[in-house]
Amino acid sequence: MNKKELSAMVAELLQSMQAEPAVKGSDYKPRDPGPQPVQRDHQPGDFVPDVTQLDLRKLYLVENPAQKDKYLALKERTPARLGMGRAGPRYKTLTMLRFRADHAAAQDAVFSQLPEDFGEKNGLIPVKTRCKDKDEYLTRPDMGRCFDEENQKKIRQGVTGQPKVQLVIGDGLSSAAIATNAMDCAQAIRDGLKLKGIELGQGIFVRYCRVGAGDAVGDVTGCELVCVLVGERPGLVTDKSMSCYLTYKPHTGVSESSRTVVSNIHAQGTPAVEAGAHIASLIETILKKKVSGVGLHLEGSV
Amino acid sequence: MDKSLLSVGLDVGTTTTQLIVSRLQVKNRASSFAVPEMTITQRQICYRSPVHMTPLLGQTLVDGQGIRTLVEQEYEKAGITRQQVDTGAVIITGETSRKENAAAVLSALSDYAGEFVVATAGPDLESALAARGAGAVQYSKDTGKAVLHMDIGGGTSNLALIEKGRIVATGCLNVGGRLLKITPTGKLVYVSPVLFPLTDLRPGDYPAQGQVEAIARILTHGLEMAAGLRPATELLGKLLTREAGGWEIPKDTPVLSFSGGVADCIEGKLPAGSFGDIGPELGQAIKQSLLCAGDYRLGTETIRATVIGAGCHSTQLSGSTVFCRDVDLPVKNLPVAVFTPEEQESGELPQLIQKRLQMQDSPRVVLALPGYPAPSYGQVSRLAQKLLQGIGDREIFVCLEGDMAKALGQSLCLLPGGDRPCLCIDRVHLEEGCYLDVGEPVGPALPVVVKTLILSEGRI
Repeated sequence: MNKKELSAMVAELLQSMQAEPAVKGSDYKPRDPGPQPVQRDHQPGDFVPDVTQLDLRKLYLVENPAQKDKYLALKERTPARLGMGRAGPRYKTLTMLRFRADHAAAQDAVFSQLPEDFGEKNGLIPVKTRCKDKDEYLTRPDMGRCFDEENQKKIRQGVTGQPKVQLVIGDGLSSAAIATNAMDCAQAIRDGLKLKGIELGQGIFVRYCRVGAGDAVGDVTGCELVCVLVGERPGLVTDKSMSCYLTYKPHTGVSESSRTVVSNIHAQGTPAVEAGAHIASLIETILKKKVSGVGLHLEGSV
Repeated sequence: MDKSLLSVGLDVGTTTTQLIVSRLQVKNRASSFAVPEMTITQRQICYRSPVHMTPLLGQTLVDGQGIRTLVEQEYEKAGITRQQVDTGAVIITGETSRKENAAAVLSALSDYAGEFVVATAGPDLESALAARGAGAVQYSKDTGKAVLHMDIGGGTSNLALIEKGRIVATGCLNVGGRLLKITPTGKLVYVSPVLFPLTDLRPGDYPAQGQVEAIARILTHGLEMAAGLRPATELLGKLLTREAGGWEIPKDTPVLSFSGGVADCIEGKLPAGSFGDIGPELGQAIKQSLLCAGDYRLGTETIRATVIGAGCHSTQLSGSTVFCRDVDLPVKNLPVAVFTPEEQESGELPQLIQKRLQMQDSPRVVLALPGYPAPSYGQVSRLAQKLLQGIGDREIFVCLEGDMAKALGQSLCLLPGGDRPCLCIDRVHLEEGCYLDVGEPVGPALPVVVKTLILSEGRI
């Protein structure tokens, strides 16, 4: 069979698949017509539909389901890839494409950079840790927690006086999370603190930032509390999730248990502005109790 | 951060009065690394009173003092004191929910009022509470089926249509077991005015054989019509109560669910005249009707459905990030003005708010807006500006559906002229014409009761 014969056969097969069921002379009316052939009305050169635009919570691919509505109601409550159906023992094409697209987005979020002028544009003091590039950042966590002399100087010059609360925004493992959420959240934190009579000075933007970079900022500025907004390690649910770490009396070597964390700040989790307002209240509590992290939980304040 | 609320439900009905005590467990469902999310995780009934006959002065006037004595006795039997009660609802239902009755009960229980969030309820809330108390909402949630719940009491039948665990419509028919009252000798002592267009029987008459059953059948036809099982005639319009407004007949036949005193007469065949009314006849008429020809269920609670709804299901929690500044909680009976997403986006929003505020007598009005699911800071501050412009110099009460109340509250208070009492809550759905009570905080969240009427006017 040559190539021409084969393609003719495939064409014929496709033709027969689209035809009406071959039951003549009866009132055969399938209740569920099953999966329909995809309408291919786009022209060459058009873009293919963007699989990442589909809302997974509303996507249910099981054929002939007994209780579709009920299943969809359950799916409303989880972003997990449930009810995706199957093609024999494998994923359906759509499921596979979406999975790979989400995976790619997660990788991009880690490897992509925030714009060069992200700091200046948002009124932040731009610095970077000792890492010279993303690769070093990923392989050397220790270097993502400290600054060289030059960057320390930048911080010292930029921060006036000894701030009570110092805001640090760092790319962390997701630049997308920071680009999407950080400034909305920071403005809500600023508002919340203002209402409580706490002035928030100029923030710092840290490239190649680990959470511990906030401790180094504490060393340099002598702030009473550091508030670090940092991109979370992206997963397949979202590549835009941000966390906030609050540390009372931050200094290099401070115990991890002394951090209070608010995670899952993104559109499907806690919205950035609402998280910001909550963080402002937490900051007030921490300053009052003079303790953060596990100690604060033990006080029963959280 | 786990807490519990002690909740009391009191249902003063046409025929019976009941009280239950329940404990609502409140837990933080979020992990300790996320913003808290308080939810009511368990509703445990700790005490059920016996079913008392409603103390009446005359035929329809409730004896407020009698209610008070009853409540005092039941508190004692339940082993609780007034001070322990956190929340709860007094529901004055059916034909008794007239203004003077509500006033009588309220004044008799005035020193209890601090704990009870709801004063009296209208038919919409009553329908919703009965459907929840009878487990019909849970049944719909569990099975995914549409359910029409009927709470058939002494004076009225409260209808609630539930789809996928959500109450989508409520209604109320003048169908009940006590529209006629009969002495053991068979003499009529009371005929509800509701029945005047349907029968010639009057108090003092001795109904002939089958006459009472015929009335029960007519009333049952009304229920069948409301369920879409029988073509609707003008009978349905006559039986619909005025306060509940219209009733849209469901297109597909839902699963039928029953509660209320009459529901006990559907399965268990009780002799006519057991309660000096037509409850047993009505129950049997329903059993033999189209209502029981298809898929139907009896509530997990029957006669106690409404009171359990009132005690366990009237209180809900707001979102766990809310904003409250200089407002003394609890606040009660706040009227609500609802704005659509289009109105929220409109440039005319401040004028719309002014207009709606002028229509209300109360100086405190809750503005209910959809808000945004994940707003930017700009969206929040723009909305805050428009709101404050419309609110003028009143106190600020805002309720949103999207999770953004705390951020919006902050924004409002920081605006020039925004320094004044302000309450912003979210994750609560309000509808036009309802009233809002907000209790003292439970952890970071606020307990909230949404009710449809404060006092229903001139209900006969």
